[in-house]
Amino acid sequence: MRDETTYDAIVIGSGMTGGWAAKELTEKGLRTLVLEAGRSIVPEEDYVEHVPPWEVKFRGMRDRHRQLEDQPIQSTCYACDEWSAKFFVSDKEHPYTTEPGKPFRWIRGRQVGGRSIMWGRQVYRWSDLDFEANLRQGIAIDWPIRYADIAPWYDYVEDFIGISGEPLGLSQLPDSKFLPPMQLNCAETAVRDAIAKHFGGERVLTIGRVAILTKDHRERAACHYCGPCERGCITRSYFSSLNATLPAAEKTGRMTLRPHSVVHSISFDRRTRRATGVRVIDAKTRAISEVRGKLIFLCASALESVRILFNSATSEFSHGLANSSGELGHNLMDHVKGGGAGAFIPGGQDKVVFGRRPNGIYIPRFRNVKTKQLEFLRGYGFQGGGHRQGWERGIAQTGFGPEFKKSLSRPGPWRFTFNGYGECLPNHDNYAELDKETVDAWGIPVLKIHCAFGENEYAIRKDMSIAAAEMLAAAGARDIEPFTDDDPPGFSIHEMGTARMGRDPKTSVLNSYNQAHDVKNLFITDGGAMVSSSCVNPSLTYMALTARACDYAVQQMKRGEL
Amino acid sequence: MNRRDALRLLATGAALQLAPGNLLAALRDARALLGTQTTVRTLDLHQRATVTAIAELIIPKTDTPGATDVRVAEFIDLIVTEWYDAEERTHFLNGLADVDVRTQALFGRNFVDSSPGQQTQILTVLGQQMSEEADALQNHARQYRDSPPQPQKNFYYMLRGLTLMGYYTSEAGATRELDFQIIPGRFDGCVDVRASREEGEN
Repeated sequence: MRDETTYDAIVIGSGMTGGWAAKELTEKGLRTLVLEAGRSIVPEEDYVEHVPPWEVKFRGMRDRHRQLEDQPIQSTCYACDEWSAKFFVSDKEHPYTTEPGKPFRWIRGRQVGGRSIMWGRQVYRWSDLDFEANLRQGIAIDWPIRYADIAPWYDYVEDFIGISGEPLGLSQLPDSKFLPPMQLNCAETAVRDAIAKHFGGERVLTIGRVAILTKDHRERAACHYCGPCERGCITRSYFSSLNATLPAAEKTGRMTLRPHSVVHSISFDRRTRRATGVRVIDAKTRAISEVRGKLIFLCASALESVRILFNSATSEFSHGLANSSGELGHNLMDHVKGGGAGAFIPGGQDKVVFGRRPNGIYIPRFRNVKTKQLEFLRGYGFQGGGHRQGWERGIAQTGFGPEFKKSLSRPGPWRFTFNGYGECLPNHDNYAELDKETVDAWGIPVLKIHCAFGENEYAIRKDMSIAAAEMLAAAGARDIEPFTDDDPPGFSIHEMGTARMGRDPKTSVLNSYNQAHDVKNLFITDGGAMVSSSCVNPSLTYMALTARACDYAVQQMKRGEL
Repeated sequence: MNRRDALRLLATGAALQLAPGNLLAALRDARALLGTQTTVRTLDLHQRATVTAIAELIIPKTDTPGATDVRVAEFIDLIVTEWYDAEERTHFLNGLADVDVRTQALFGRNFVDSSPGQQTQILTVLGQQMSEEADALQNHARQYRDSPPQPQKNFYYMLRGLTLMGYYTSEAGATRELDFQIIPGRFDGCVDVRASREEGEN
């Protein structure tokens, strides 16, 4: 397919940030081409959230042998289950390599909507505690922006997305513009009250802040609490690009969305110092073509975007386009998880929940906020929650017969689990490079990822297990089990930092508006732009930065600066 | 309204205009019913009869359907055939054969031909052995937090797992024995057990 158009803008990727770039750029009048490597998703055919277990072959136990063969990495993600496995890539078609002894989990989705279809939907604002951390501690480089720069853009995207949550007025976790919060369950209320009583207000338990509607919002219906959002949502009650931003872009009549378009590289004109277009491989026919655009937004995810830039190397930029700093691919971060604790909460035997709430609890960061920790820098937050055990508890019991069956028809004891998500320090030695020996199913060289947690991350993980156990003890829990699991980097699926922002082109890839220092009409607005990782889920910040970058890019374009 | 029409309606944002009751009805109408056709491929007639008998003893028919009613043996055959690896399959089939070895030694007949009392006696012994193996694992790392140590290689544990899975994920097990609703329509964080069940029966 030959496309002779010169688009005003080309957006690479249709997920969390690509959807926002498509919406903003088209709404500002730009004729925009959105390139997506994967297939189209048709909600009424592909969404499977209401298919019950008795209608899937293995009843939710997954197609084990097919997954072991085709998705050995992807299937380690909880959401890559018997229903949603189709939203995750084939590891055979999409390989990447790592160093021996340094595993990295790269969980990927390639389809219109990207990973925004299966994401965890937790949304939290960053604060100046995060933006100032590198400067104060002399780590890596300073963020070129502060909370005041991004706050209006948080407002802007939140107003469109619809976020439910409880305002707390905490400086380390600014409140969003909230729809009504979801309810805590009985066990969570009890644990919340115990924490409030025993930790002097330093630790606070609240309901998770989620991009799920608790009331109708901007032509999308409130949640009906069926539970498994990662399988899709026919009422579009949770935010995804497919459910919200892409339809908004479509409405302008200025978006051309091309699925099955695997981006190989970006072309660069040495004379004008501008990117001129994108080389695309048709995923089905393998035909190669080039599309032209005046402005390029790279929104393919932190790792995929740098892979494209590495593959776009020129004689001048021999280590990747826009990489005069040498920082491209470096400073790869994720969140450290695997630390926490679980326990039984006594009582409440006559109480249950009604409906399946697709959300849990949140405990905002409390380490190194008011009191300084000696063991580690920065901090972590807890997610998790309470639930009553189900019929599964009967497997290891020895009972059988009518009484046993009757006992399992009632829910079991209340369990409570805290799972920590901790900040990861930026480190130049954690990086991705091009592995020229290995190619994907389209013949494109893949990434080799070198990433490991350091002492600070391990200290954080250890502290998570202790602090979680303390809170469960305060709540009168029994059989408390602290844990520290050796989850490898990548497993929080918050990979970021590979094309960081900064004031100095010698030490950063992007300026404070996500614009490449070296190539003025190239913007990277996915997780690549992050200079540090905070401890909160990052998607909201990526979205706010994308909207802000679009606003800036269009202003610059109108002034003839691009 | 057929399923596809209902889904189209919902996907275009019409969900907002529907009264809450109608929305739930539309969502329920819209669900696909694919039907479940399975055949037995690994277990022979005798093995299948033995599995069916043990599963029915664990989850018998009462005022709600039992394991046999929801065809648990077919589900178990599917897992043994397509989900287990060769080692697990051999282990499971050997364990199943061992049940007859036990009843032959004690009562001079196969499990399916034993009296209810004799069958109960065998399950009790199998349960004790399973517990002992679980206790032996106490000091080892747990594979799944939230649950006691799992003697993965114990035949009775394997069979109990598949029986409960097959039963509680069947339509009758999920909706009649438990109060699973595909589309609850709202969330209440703390309600009385009784109230919740009555609502489930509406």
